[in-house]
Order: sequence, then C-alpha cells, then structure tokens
Amino acid sequence: MTRLPKTREAIRRLAVALCATVGVVAWQPLPAQSAPGPVIGAPRDPLVPGRRPPLVRGIAVDERLASDAGVQVGDTLRLSAEAGTVGEPVVVSALVRRAADPSEVARSEYRVRLHLDHLQRLTGSADRVDRFAVAINAEAGPAAVDSFLAGVNHVAFGFRAHASRDVAVQSSRTFQVVDRFHRAIGGITIVASAVFLLCILLLKVEERRRAVAALRLAGLSRRTVALSVIAEAAVVAVLGSAAGAAIGWVATLLVNAHYQRVFRTPLTFALLTPRIALFAVALSLLLGIVAGSLAAWRLVRTPPLTLLGR
Amino acid sequence: MRATLAWAALRRHPMRTLLAVFGLAIAAALLLDMVMLATGMRASFRSLLTSQGYQLRVTPKGTLPFDTEASVGGAAALVASLRSHPDVARVSPSLGTTVQAQRGEQAVSAFALGTNADVQGEYTLLAGREPSMPADSTIREAIVNATFLTRLGVSLGDTVDLSTERSAQLRQSGRRGRVVIVGEARFLYVPPGLPALSTPLGALQHFLGTSGRDRMSLAMASVRVDGLDAAAQRDRIERVRLWIETEHSRVTAISTETAIVQVEERLAYFRQLAFILGALSLVIGVLLVTTLVSLSVNERLGELAVLRAIGVPRAGVLQQIMLEGLMLGLAGITIGLGLGLVTARWLNTILRDFPGLPADLDFFVWSGEAAWKSLAMLLIAATFAGAIPAWRASRVRVAQALREEAVA
Repeated sequence: MTRLPKTREAIRRLAVALCATVGVVAWQPLPAQSAPGPVIGAPRDPLVPGRRPPLVRGIAVDERLASDAGVQVGDTLRLSAEAGTVGEPVVVSALVRRAADPSEVARSEYRVRLHLDHLQRLTGSADRVDRFAVAINAEAGPAAVDSFLAGVNHVAFGFRAHASRDVAVQSSRTFQVVDRFHRAIGGITIVASAVFLLCILLLKVEERRRAVAALRLAGLSRRTVALSVIAEAAVVAVLGSAAGAAIGWVATLLVNAHYQRVFRTPLTFALLTPRIALFAVALSLLLGIVAGSLAAWRLVRTPPLTLLGR
Repeated sequence: MRATLAWAALRRHPMRTLLAVFGLAIAAALLLDMVMLATGMRASFRSLLTSQGYQLRVTPKGTLPFDTEASVGGAAALVASLRSHPDVARVSPSLGTTVQAQRGEQAVSAFALGTNADVQGEYTLLAGREPSMPADSTIREAIVNATFLTRLGVSLGDTVDLSTERSAQLRQSGRRGRVVIVGEARFLYVPPGLPALSTPLGALQHFLGTSGRDRMSLAMASVRVDGLDAAAQRDRIERVRLWIETEHSRVTAISTETAIVQVEERLAYFRQLAFILGALSLVIGVLLVTTLVSLSVNERLGELAVLRAIGVPRAGVLQQIMLEGLMLGLAGITIGLGLGLVTARWLNTILRDFPGLPADLDFFVWSGEAAWKSLAMLLIAATFAGAIPAWRASRVRVAQALREEAVA
C-alpha cells in the first residue's frame, strides 16, 4: 500500500534478470480444452537472421505462483499487459525458484520470466530496456571499470552507467537500516542481560558470605579468597553463557524454519556463527569477572566475624 | 508498618536494590518500546491512510497503489462510474510517473503526480497556491516538495523544464514542457529524499502523450459513512468495494483495513520481533525479581521467624515480601517509562531512514492504553514474582528457623 518508488528502484537494481524489461503483466489460465490461438499482434521489429521464435512463446513461472495457482510445466496461460484484456497464449516452459534475496522477502508478488523481445512486444515497449549489465574483461582490473564508466557517462544521454559496487552500496540501504536497528536492539538487550547477570552473580557470591568468613577464619589469605570467588563467578558465567548459546542455536533453527515457511524463501534469517557465540561467552565471562571482583572486594574487606553476623 | 519493613529490607542492600531497579527499568523500557513498535506501525499507517478521508483505493488489477508502474485506461469513465454510486461522496484520481526536471545545468529525476486539486488527498500545501488547469491542458504550473527545491536549487516562482524519458539513440528528450513552481507541498506518501511535483491530472496526461492519455494510477474514493456506527461503516465500505470490483474487472479496490493488513504482512518481521523481545523483557523482569526476593528471603529466614514468633500472621509476612516486589517494580517501571520513551525516539529515528517509506510514517507510536496495560502487566508480574518466595517465607517453621539462626 505504501508508495515506494525508491525501494522499487532499489529492488530492481538488485534483480537478477539484468537484461530484461520489467513489465507488469496479468495472466489467466486457458480452459483445459482450449487450443492455443495465434499470437496477437505481430512483432514490430524486422526479422534478423536467426531462429524464428515459436508462435506460442514459453515463459518461466515463479514456483510460488505455480504452487498457488496450480500451474505446471506445459500448461497454457494467457498473458496480457493489462488486466481485463484477452492477452496472448503462452506455455509454461519452466518453473523457477527465487534466489535468497533479502530485498524481496517481504514482497509476496508473483513473477513470470519472459524473453526480452517477448516482454517488449507484450508491453508495447519495443527496443527498450530498464537496464543492461556490461562485463568488463576481468584481466583489465578495477581501473578499467572506472575508465569505462567515465567514458560512457561522458557521452550518456538519458541513461547513466553505475559500477556494480556502487549499486550494491545504494541498494543495500534497507539492510543498513535494519542492521543499525538490530545493533541498537542488540545493545539494549546486552545492557539488560549485563545488569541481570551482574545482579545474579553479585547475589550468588553474597550468598556465600558465611563460607567466605569460614575460609578467612581458617587462615586463607584475602587474595586467595578473592580469587576463588572470582573464579566461581567466572565459571558460572561461562557455563551460563554456553547454555545460552545452545538455546540460541536451537532458537535459530526454529526462527529459520518458521520464517522460511512463512515467506517461502531459502533465506537464512538467523545465524549463530562461532564469532557471535564467542562474543557472548567472552562478554559473559567479562561480566562474571567484574561481578565476582565487585562481590569479592566487598567480602574480603569485611571482617570475617561481621560476615558471620557477630 | 509492612510497607516500612519492606522498604527497610530493600534499603539494607542498596547496591543490590539499585541493580534490581536498574534491571527492571531496562526490562520495562524494552517492553514499552516493543509495545510501541507492535502497535505503532498500524496506528501510524492507519492515521496516514485516513488523514484525507478516503477509505478506498482503486488500482490497476492485482497491484497496490504506486507499487508498480501499472496504470489503467479509460480513467474518466471509471471515475464517472465511481462517482455515480450513491454511497460514494468523492473520488480523487491520480497518475504517477517519473519525469526529468532541469534548470540550467542542474537536472533531477522527479516523481510527478497528476491530481485534481479540489479533491486530491496526496499532499498538504505549505506555501503558494494550487496549480491551475489551463484550458488547452498544456502543463504550465506545478507544486513541488522541499527536496525538489533543494536538489534543483530553485524557489517558488522559478521556471523549470520538464521532459519525459530520453532517447539515447536520438539524443533527444521525449515530450518537453516548461512549468512555473507556484507552491510548495508536503507529499504524504512520498519518501523524504525523493523530489516530487504535482500538476493537474489533465495537464500531466496531456504532457505524457499517448502513454498518459485518459490513464490513471490510482483513484481514492470516500464513502458516505456519517451517522453510522463502526460496524455499519465497515459494512458500507465493504459493499462499495465489492461493487467496484464487480463492476470493473480491470481494477482492484482496497479498503483501508485491507491495506493495513497487507502492509502488516510486509512488516510482519517487526511485529514478531516486538512480540518476542517484549515477552523476553517480561520474563527477565520476573526472573530478576524472583531471584532477588528468593535470596533476600533466604538471608532473612531468622528475621522472618522472629516476626512470626512475635505474632505477625502468615498473611502479614506474605504481604511484606510481596510489597518488596511491588516497590522494586514501581521504581523500575517509573524509570523504565522515561528510558523507554527516549530509546523509542532513538529507534524510531533509525527506522525512519528506511528508503522508500513516507515521511510521516512512524514505527514507534505512543499509545497510552497499550503502554499502561503492558507496564501494569510487568508490575503485576513483578509483584507476583515474589509470591513463591513470600509463600515459602510465610510457611517457615518458627522454632527450627530460630534455632538454626542461633547456631549460625
């Protein structure tokens, strides 16, 4: 419902079909007994040497559309540029699965793929394209790309050439925003869990005040007692975070299974990498040591008899 | 008396209490933010859609408004048909396209919107006046947004050249026209960084030539619902919507409710994230209070036994312990409320950078009822989180506890 010209443009830039005119087409299945009729409208461009396209052209259909509409390879459909018009018959030649593209995940629109000349004719946009991709000789290096861009844009009229890397940066703005949001939420949850951890560990250590007093009265040095308290807090923190990482891993499986089913995409939504797990454990360890140190400092500077309540 | 005792128990360990309150404040802030996120998008989008009084959007079949470049022909007849329905109060057709705008050496691609000024619901005029529709339909005047003015370095009264698509082979612009900027407007549905202009619908259709003749991208319809209750309003809007789809097979009619549902489907991720994080913050708050009160009770078993020994009833002990949870919860929620509003503003600023979203769309919107309900839920949860340790404390065996305390 929102009007998203910029998003649309970004998504288009990301689209895999680089050499196609993007059009909006409406489709309807032909009755099973109908024989394909003649192509409506002859190609406007003169024929060039090569193979003449078949009278009934083939299209590839998004597997999502195929599944929802019960379309199979070999089925004949009618395709038109505008709803309500008769359209021309086409044969479903292939079913295609979308790539795991995050920019399309929330869009539930259907897609069909046509040959370029077919779509140009269907949408009345002969000899027009939205974009085309140019591959520079890989051996020429990045300087050749810049030189090519400068050369093209110097004489460009009505179009502009962009390096793929620049397009990637521009079209990834959505993900940059999501990434910033995730980082912010992550920061808040880290602070919340840090306070929680600090509180729990502090209480856990304070619960040992009688044991600490006994150790001190038995002759153990303050340093030894403090180190044992810190070590205990660190072990609890590491064990807790390891258990948390395991729960997190199970959660990623559930999240991926759920969202892959909801959005019908092979995209990975949640990922627990060794780096993330290591970060969680390291942060917990650090917090455990801080909490343990704070508690140990409070315990060892208090006389043992006071700790015992005497 | 019990409140005094509970307060004294909390004051005995200031560091512990401070940490617990801080933890609860963060949990409350996160909960508030997530409630604002979950309810805010819907509220903000609804407010945006209904701000101009149109309940129905009519688009080319199978599309959402301006989500594709699709347009529908026979616009005049379609609009006349819509207006002929007795329950339709007014109809606002519009046509959207991309044009090149140039002044001197400066050129930008701009989103051009053809509308009828008397019924349009696309923009709010900020300065100047509406563009007039010339008798010969030639494009002559336009209103633009602030981004357009900035990007092209122009101001009200200036003249700019407009052109449709350019031919790379012939090195020629398509159709060309010259317009005077007669006003500045805030376009409700246009993203903030996109230059936009609006001209009379007929002028834009004429300017686009065959590709724009009698075409429109969208028609917004306002249904007469005055004096009807909410259910009757919904029924009438739905009746008109069905009538449009039955009468005109080339278009799709979308009600505000449907539009909200479709947008929610696209932004479902945020709602679900809000739900998960909100639930998590509630659990953290409960766990924090439970742990704290449990340990506090364990430490004070002897003291609680003394209270029981001098005649304090079990219910009294139970109330005192639960009061501690309530006090912690109250303090945490009070701080969390302020913290949540500040972080919501910060998070909203981040999400409003989403490319392509209307400038007026907010993700985090304060909803008093939802916020108070969620915070009250946290407060109740925090209070009852102390119920189990409190129950244990009230069941303490007085003689045994006193003996153990004496030995210790």
